[in-house]
Amino acid sequence: MLIDAHAHLGTSLFGVENSLEDLLASMEQNEIDQAILVPLKPRDYHFGPENDRIAAAVRATVGKFFGFARVDPWQGQAAVDELRRSIDELGMIGLFLHPFEEQFAANDELSFPLLEVLHESGLPLMIAGGYPTFSHPSQIGDLARQFPDLTIIATHGGQINISGMLLADALRTMQANPNVIMETSGIYREDFIEDTIAELGAERVVWGSNAPYMDQGFETTRVRMAHLSDAVKTIIGRDNLRRICRLN
Amino acid sequence: MIIDSHTHVDESPVLGWSDPPEAIVGLLDEAEISRAVIMTYRDAPGPEERVLEYVAEAVQKYPDRLIAYARMNPRFGDEAVELFDRAIREYKMRGLKLHPVGYVMHPASGPTLDLIRHAASLNVPTLFHCGDEEFTMPLQIAEAAKLIPEAKIILGHMGGYFHVKDAIRVAKRHPNLILETSAMPYPKLIKEAVDTLGAERILFASDGPGCDPSIEVEKVLRAGLTSDQEALLFSGNIERLLGLADA
Repeated sequence: MLIDAHAHLGTSLFGVENSLEDLLASMEQNEIDQAILVPLKPRDYHFGPENDRIAAAVRATVGKFFGFARVDPWQGQAAVDELRRSIDELGMIGLFLHPFEEQFAANDELSFPLLEVLHESGLPLMIAGGYPTFSHPSQIGDLARQFPDLTIIATHGGQINISGMLLADALRTMQANPNVIMETSGIYREDFIEDTIAELGAERVVWGSNAPYMDQGFETTRVRMAHLSDAVKTIIGRDNLRRICRLN
Repeated sequence: MIIDSHTHVDESPVLGWSDPPEAIVGLLDEAEISRAVIMTYRDAPGPEERVLEYVAEAVQKYPDRLIAYARMNPRFGDEAVELFDRAIREYKMRGLKLHPVGYVMHPASGPTLDLIRHAASLNVPTLFHCGDEEFTMPLQIAEAAKLIPEAKIILGHMGGYFHVKDAIRVAKRHPNLILETSAMPYPKLIKEAVDTLGAERILFASDGPGCDPSIEVEKVLRAGLTSDQEALLFSGNIERLLGLADA
């Protein structure tokens, strides 16, 4: 039983795409049972129809998918309205923010009105973590410190740096903020997953793929081939997401 | 057969790092990898003594499994070149490793070129850490490749998360550049590199023990290569590059 915390659907401005058919085929081939769907940034820059697309996919496949809304914080009140619509009318169970693609700093006050909505609704934030300039792990930590009751899922372990130069900050962010959960897609390196679980507990890690930017099948190996017990693999591959997102 | 072209051994209490040779050898066993190129995380010369000796002793402990590269700090100028020469001639190391994040110099700076040129004169390759940061990006390392066409230069991590396309572009321009697959997360781009450059130009590596060699093998197997191409990536190319078959 594997739930993908982070699979994108749609056609991206940035040259990748993932149709519902392709995603379902990949999930079947790779024995992934469920997934949280997140919009890609479309060529016309409008997230509203993309949130509708996610909601339609969730409705069309009963019990298979859950939706996270995506908005651009630079849209101000319109973004807040779209988030409320996504929660109230579309049944979305969280918000996805991509500071790198939407060009805002993870800890900028710009997104705070959105986070207040999440706080009121008791829903989690997933944030694209570790991107240069926009979502450095220390910026995610600064955000998490100001919203201690908000669960924040940081993708890529909160660090994308193949020199390992962000590992120390990612770990500090996790240590200082119990509300930060790390997602494993594309992560540098496997021992960061294993060491973080040893130090902070398996409850702090969820498996996700970041498909189609990353390879959903290959990403499963980061759980399936990890030096972890089957019980821990089930916790990070399924149970944590069920708890955080109140799935079922 | 599989040979891993980039792994690490090192112990430094002051940095809080401990990856003794047993760590990588255990992971190689799990992944059914026959041999691995090892190097330290620390540069030599540096604030701590016996860095190259640590690698040499690891090879002495596992002579059938481990092959050493000397990781050097070009800021020491002639002293670094002399020490590197000794590493190759006396310690029988097989290559030069450079990680510009550790010593903060451009890959085409004079002292760096001196080391690369010396490696070429000894007929051993230079492995650069090649990722997304200043002094490690493909276009920067390509300047060194252009200036020393006789040097075989390996782009470790083949450009990291954001610079793989650049790594493929510069390797197309400079036939002395070789790409290496470790740690980057894109099986599709390994296939693209093979299709663009030829399988002879790509090496399999894991960057273990931090990255799991079993997972890194799986990544290459998922790239959709032919079995002949896989054989070159997994062992043929590094055997040819280091003359392992003749040893």
